[in-house]
Formats: sequence, C-alpha cells, structure tokens
Amino acid sequence: MDALVLGLVLGGLYALLAQSFVLTFITTKTLNFAVGEFVALGAFVVLAVAGWSWLPDVAKVAVGVLVAAVVGAAAYRFLVLPFMTEGEHDVRWLLSTVALSFVMLNLITNVEGPSPQRSETARLSGAVDVLGAGVSKQQLLIAALAVVVTVLLVVASKKTSAGLVMRAVSQDPETTSLMGVSPRLVGMVTYAVAMGIAALTGTLYAATVGASPVMGAPLLVASIAVAVVGGLSSLWGPLLGGALYGVLSEVTSYEFGAIWGETAGLLLVIVVLVWRPQGLLGRRTEVKL
Amino acid sequence: MSLLDQESRSAPPTKESSRRPSRWASRPWVRDALFAVAALVVAFLAILPGRDGAGPSISLMQLVASMAAMTVAAVGLNLLMGYAKLVSLGQGGFYAIGAYATAWLVLDGGWPPLLAIAGALALCGAVGAVVAVASMQLRGPQFSVITLVLAILVERILNEGAPFGRLAGYPNHAQHGTTALPPIEILGSTLEPPMIANTVATVMVPVVVVTALVVIASRNIARSPWGSSLSAIGESEMLASHLGVDVFRRKISVFVLASVFGGLGGVITTLSFAHLQPETFDIFLTITIVLAVVFGGSGTVLGPLVGAVGIVWLEQSDILAQLGDLQQEYISPQWYLSTPGLVGVLFVLTLFLMPRGIVGTLGGLVVGRRQRAEVAEDDGAGLQGTAGLPAEADAVSDAAVDGHSPAGRTGEPLLVMSGVGKNFGGLKAVADMDLTVDRGEIHAVIGPNGAGKSTLANLLTGVYRPSSGTVRFAGRAITALAPHKVARAGVARTFQTPQLFHDATVLDNVLAGFPDTGRTPLWAAALKPPSRYRRDAEMRAEAERLLHLVGLTEFAGLRAGELPYGKQRALEIARALASQPELVVLDEPAAGLLATETAGLGDLLISLRTHGYALIVVEHHMDLVARIADQVTCMDQGRLLSRGTPQQVLSDEAVVSAYLGKPMEEHP
Repeated sequence: MDALVLGLVLGGLYALLAQSFVLTFITTKTLNFAVGEFVALGAFVVLAVAGWSWLPDVAKVAVGVLVAAVVGAAAYRFLVLPFMTEGEHDVRWLLSTVALSFVMLNLITNVEGPSPQRSETARLSGAVDVLGAGVSKQQLLIAALAVVVTVLLVVASKKTSAGLVMRAVSQDPETTSLMGVSPRLVGMVTYAVAMGIAALTGTLYAATVGASPVMGAPLLVASIAVAVVGGLSSLWGPLLGGALYGVLSEVTSYEFGAIWGETAGLLLVIVVLVWRPQGLLGRRTEVKL
Repeated sequence: MSLLDQESRSAPPTKESSRRPSRWASRPWVRDALFAVAALVVAFLAILPGRDGAGPSISLMQLVASMAAMTVAAVGLNLLMGYAKLVSLGQGGFYAIGAYATAWLVLDGGWPPLLAIAGALALCGAVGAVVAVASMQLRGPQFSVITLVLAILVERILNEGAPFGRLAGYPNHAQHGTTALPPIEILGSTLEPPMIANTVATVMVPVVVVTALVVIASRNIARSPWGSSLSAIGESEMLASHLGVDVFRRKISVFVLASVFGGLGGVITTLSFAHLQPETFDIFLTITIVLAVVFGGSGTVLGPLVGAVGIVWLEQSDILAQLGDLQQEYISPQWYLSTPGLVGVLFVLTLFLMPRGIVGTLGGLVVGRRQRAEVAEDDGAGLQGTAGLPAEADAVSDAAVDGHSPAGRTGEPLLVMSGVGKNFGGLKAVADMDLTVDRGEIHAVIGPNGAGKSTLANLLTGVYRPSSGTVRFAGRAITALAPHKVARAGVARTFQTPQLFHDATVLDNVLAGFPDTGRTPLWAAALKPPSRYRRDAEMRAEAERLLHLVGLTEFAGLRAGELPYGKQRALEIARALASQPELVVLDEPAAGLLATETAGLGDLLISLRTHGYALIVVEHHMDLVARIADQVTCMDQGRLLSRGTPQQVLSDEAVVSAYLGKPMEEHP
C-alpha cells in the first residue's frame, strides 16, 4: 500500500516533466533531449536569486521559469529548427539537443561544482499521512501541480485561440502557415512553455534532493518513459503514464530492490511500444502514400 | 529475340571510350582487392610502432585499440543510421554487453576464449533482435527513445549489478583476486594486451585485422543490393516494400548486424584493456559513437573510420583539455567548457558546417566527378555487353509475348480482381470492383477525384488489405499479400509523385529496382563472391538497356534529383521494369508533364505493350488514355461506372456527367 501511494506521488513528478516532452512533440514533432539540464538550470537560477529577500518565493520560482523559457525558445530557434528541415525522417535535431545537453551539463558543472546544494525556496517541510503512507508535503505539491498543469494545458488547448493555433500547427504546419500563423513562432512559444515547466519541476524537486548538475538525468529517463507510455501526442498521457510507471517501479523496487524497479519501468515502455506504438492515449497518424 | 535488344544495339555509339583510363583499374574486383589490401596495410602500419613492445609504445597501442573498438562500433551504427536512417542511441549498450559478456564468460564462466567471444556476440545479436522486434513499428524519435532506454538499462545493470563492482570495476580484487583478465590464448598463441613494457602486445594483430575486415565487409554490404535495400528503407519503407524488400525482416537483420558490430567493439576493448569500469559505459559512450558516425560522414564507407579515429584522438589527446585551460585563463575560471562540453560544441558545429561529415563533404565533389566519368566509361562496356542480355529478361518478355507461361496456357488472364472492396471505417472507398488485364494489354483506370482509383491500385499492390473479394495474378492468389510479396510475384508500380533516391545517380536508381535488392542474402553481400561480380555486370548492362529504352542514357551519371520532373517519371518507370515484372501499375504517370513529354510517355507505354508487359494506367489525361488504352474502366464513388474501349467509355453519358456534372434539367 505504501509503495502504491509513493508510486503515484512519484509518478506525479515524472508526469509534470513529461508534459514538456508532450508539448514540444505535439506542436513540433521534436523532443528536447536536454530537458534534464533545463531542470537543473531552473533549480540553479532560483538558487541564485534565493538571497533576494525582497522577492516572494513565487516570484523567485517565476524568475527561474522565465530564464529557462527564454533559453528554451532560443534552443528551438537555433538548435532544433535548423535541423528539422528535411521532412519527418530528419532527426538531426535529436543529435543537436543531445549536444546541447552535453554543453549545458558541462557548463553548469564547471560553474556550480558537482555536489548537490541545498535549496530552501518554495519548500514545504513536513509530511502528511496518505492512506497510511507518509508522504512529504513537497512531493505531494509536485504531484498536485502535475494535475493542475495538465488540466490547465488541456483547457488552454481547447478553449483559447493560442491552443487552437497550437493544435492547427500540430496537424498541418504548412496549411497553418498559409493562414498567417508562423509555425516557427508557435514552436518557440511551445518550447518556452515546455522548458518553463521543466524549470518549475527542477525548482520544486531541488527543494527535496538539492540542486545539482546531474539532478535532471534520472528524471529525464523516467519522464521520457512516462511520456512514451502515456502517448507523446496526448496531453492526458503523462498522468496515466506517470501513474503506471510510478506504481510499477515503486512496487517492484519495494519487492525486489531498487535496480529492478527501474528495469521494470523501462520494460513497461518496451511492452507498450510493441503493443501500441503511439502510446496508451496517443493517436495513431496514418501514413499517406 | 525481342525488339528491345535491337533497339539497344542500334543505340548511339560510345563516345567516351577514347579517354578511358586503363581498363584494368576500372574492373570492380580489382578496385575491391586494392581497397582490401590498402585497409590491411593501414592496419599493420598502425601497430608497427608497437612491434618490439617498448614502453613508450604502450600508450600508442592503447590509443590504436580504442580507435579500433570505436571504429567497429561506428561501422555497425553507420549501417543502421547512415543507410537505413534509423538513429539508434543504443550502440553503447551493445558495446557494453559485448565487453562484459566476454569478460564474464571467460573469467566466471570458464569458457574457452573464442567460444566466449562468440557467445558474447551471440548475446548482442539476441538482445538486438528482441529490441528490433520491439521497435520495428517505430520511426524517428520513438525509435531513438527505445534504443536510448536500452543503453540506459544496460548501464544501470552494469553499475548496480553486484558482480560488476561499481568502483572496483571488473574483474576486481574482492571478487576475483585480480584486477586484470588473464591474457587469452587462441590457437596456441597468447594474446598479450598493451599493458606491460617489453611484452609485445600480440593482441593488437587480431584487433587491427578484425577492424580492417569489418570495414571491408561493411563496404561490400553498403555497395551491394543489400545496401540498396537499406537506403530504400531510409528513403521510404513503402517504397522499399514495393521494390520487393521484406522491410520488417530487413530492418531486424540490419539492427542485429549493427548490434553484433557494437558488441565486437566491446570485445576489442576487453581484450585490449583487460579491465572494465562500469562508468565508462555511460550515455557519453553511446553518444560518442553516434558523433563518430556523424562527424566522419554518415552513409559513407570510410566515414565511421575517420570519425572514430578523429573523435578518440581528440578525446584522448591534450587538445580539448588545453582548450579548457585557455578558456579558464582568458574568459573565466568558472564559465568554461571542458571535454564533454567541447565535444557537444563539436557535435553542433559538425551538424551546422559539415552535415555530411568529413568524408561526405570532402569526398562529395571528387566522388561525384569520378562516378560521372565511370558511368560514361561503362556506357560503352554496357552497350557492347547487351548482345548477351540477361537470360531472365528475355524469358519474361518472350514468354509474355508467346503466351508460353503456365498461366498463359490455362487461358486465365494475367490479373483477375473480382468483387474487391475496401472500407475505411464507414466509408466505402472501393466496392465490388472487377478488373481483368492480360499480357500485352493497357488498361486505363479513370474517374473523377476521390473515385477510388488510387485505392484500387493500392489494393492490387498490397498496400491495403481488401475488405472483400479476391485478386489472382499469373494463376495464383495474391489477395492480401504484403507489398513485397506482390512485387516479387511480378507486379511493379510507380507512384503519383515519383519516389526516387534523389542523391543517388540515375543508374543507381535503376539498379535498386532489380529483384536482388530484396533477395540478396547478407553473407553474399558481405563476402562478395565471384557470382556477385557477374550478377553486378549483368545488372549494369540491363539497367543501361532500360535507361536507353526510356531515353535516359545520357543522364545515367546525374543525380536523380537533378533530373527534370518528366525525366524523373521516366526513371521511375525504368526502375519498375528492372524488377522484371509482368504487370506494371502506373499511378497518374502523366501528372505534371508537358504536352511533348506526355506524347513521349504514350510512345513508351505503347512500346512496353509491344514487349508483352501488361499495364494498368491510372490517369486523368484523356488524350493519352484515348491514344494508348485497349480497355478503359471508369470508376465513380468506388464503383464501376463504365467499361469498354476508349471510344465507348469516353462517349458514355454517365462518364461525361460524372466528370462534368449532370445537366441542370436532369436534377430532381
């Protein structure tokens, strides 16, 4: 039971970050493999402004989110967009984002040092009892945020004109550009929002484990897995994927040890991809001849 | 003898023969032999400094060993990524499996070394097969993700699995009483790793020989029909299957092959360093292998070698470290990039400045020019050779003309579609269609947009499974067969928009159309036995004959992408004919053609009919249809509207109203 609750909460963390993969995939059909470093970037920016006592915590977090959003938009413009020009089989962007990940990780490590630093911003201390399991408030906050962000994104995509534009670009960028919408701008905005979410995740997560350059790496793997399981083309996907992945890996490591937890989670990805390549909630796109 | 041969014999005489270099050097087997000798010479030159085992040469030999291991892994990845365009981030995982499985089987398993190596490679192949089967429906990012997941999984197991010892490495004192694998013995000789001064590093000999052999084999594969099938898959899986390639099995084969090469890289590491640290098999390794391929030139023969040597040298030399120091000195003690960051920058710069890599960029011009010269040369050779045309080609056309084939004797028409229907959800795209086509007949399928013509073509060629009805071809049922099986049965097709290999030459495009693309076994592609050379020569001669037939002889050496649109269509028809089909399905061949080009197309199709091919032409161009078609089928809303001779159908009121709309007074 403990493992079940903890798994769900952990799944919330992964789901929040998975949302940034889903967002960029829906609009641009690309994934940013440097998301892990944006997590760290957010955490360290917030750490850097932590001393500004005149700023409320929420505003500090907002600074971190904003910086990551700007860097994210720039990354799309200069490292993704130039490398996706040759049709859907062109995946050079995958290599350029991996390269970006190397550069950012290296730079952050050189500047901040490899060891974790304590982060007090936006930190809730203490734990609450959920169905007999002790869950830290911070983790619960992250999980709740995952649900809130998901609902916000779904509502925004259905009810706002920006959401309409986003869905239009995802279905047919060429036609949309003929309607006077710049897919490039939409892509930059999406990357900004997605990397903002990554930075938000990083800030809140850093409050539990500390900020370190490599903090994003384990999250990256798990959240890609979650996004793929749920379906890269579905905004609801991360919540379902996160719940499944979190519970499965948590229960398995509870029973058999930590290493098997992760293994089971990654095997889940393989099983889902074989059974439903588009993910559990993803929509299949027909290949037209 | 069919008319085709006479045509090609009366072709314009050779022009280039006078300035042809020595014929000796232009023979394919001579070039292959020279390459092999050069590869082995370079391999032995690389280990020459270590021949006496002097202390200072040890680090150099270790560097050579690292380069060899990286080269082998990169060569494998290149087949997958450079040709089939499947970007795998899992190569480092197979490298690690190969390394650890060898060490573990020798030390803990007590297997004989050769058997342990074979076992490790078999394990890589098996894991590769499982991953391949799991990921074959995926393309692009999802495929990369699943391979990345594999690499991470392997790394975690190595890092946290008890037998491998996180910090102590494998083997380690605590568990094995030693920190180095004992040198292995093969065929009575001990293979010493480059570790101890004044001991000759004998392992280097098999290491560089195997590396050279891998490079040679990959070159053979890349230039074989097997390699063409990978390029076809990279271009479009649908196209590949229409060329007779069993895409599913071919993708699994190439993934397994790449995995085994990745594992072989790991085996070389184990033999050369005798000790493994789990943290060296991390994500950085797998990305470095990808970088080696991209940096050197993905999709080129020498690219992975050049890239691997360059990257390993960069990473192990002082250059990157010094660059880091320089930044610290002149920019900021904190805000600087050290080796991994600089590798990332190098990666991005490569993508920006040299998207085709070192070999691709440097070689592009030279190779292009040489190919053109070669093709021009071989024009002559090919035309002389047409006197002895491939027997199969004659057999097909003769049998078709004389009606000697088994199906011909039974009196059954070549193609019989009966009651064929296809529903997409609730939409009946095609309903209850019959179609009969015989040899030497041109059957045009017309109808307004959305009438189901293309769907009918796709039902025939296996792209869609019919919801109902049967398709018989040459006396056997081909209903619901996969496209590659339909293609192998003798049905070729062209597409609404020409699907060509734009970067390959016109001649290579035709060569990809031969049945060999789907049928050459991997071993024959890698070893290149004499029969392959004979067949290559036959295919070249036949390809040149087909190019002449469609009027592209003078363009043979051009890149297909440089051809004008009309010529691209002609090229696609030549490629379709290369598969020696009995029936060719042409999907709107005249779309986008100029009037003169359309007339030429009509002549071509009529001449194909003369040679006994059966043709189904889906077409909008009524003048063309009226001129060439023996039978016309007009479809509307998925159903048969009218059928008969062109005159009958084109004057049918139902057909006229389907195209032009009904006159006002007839509306209810």
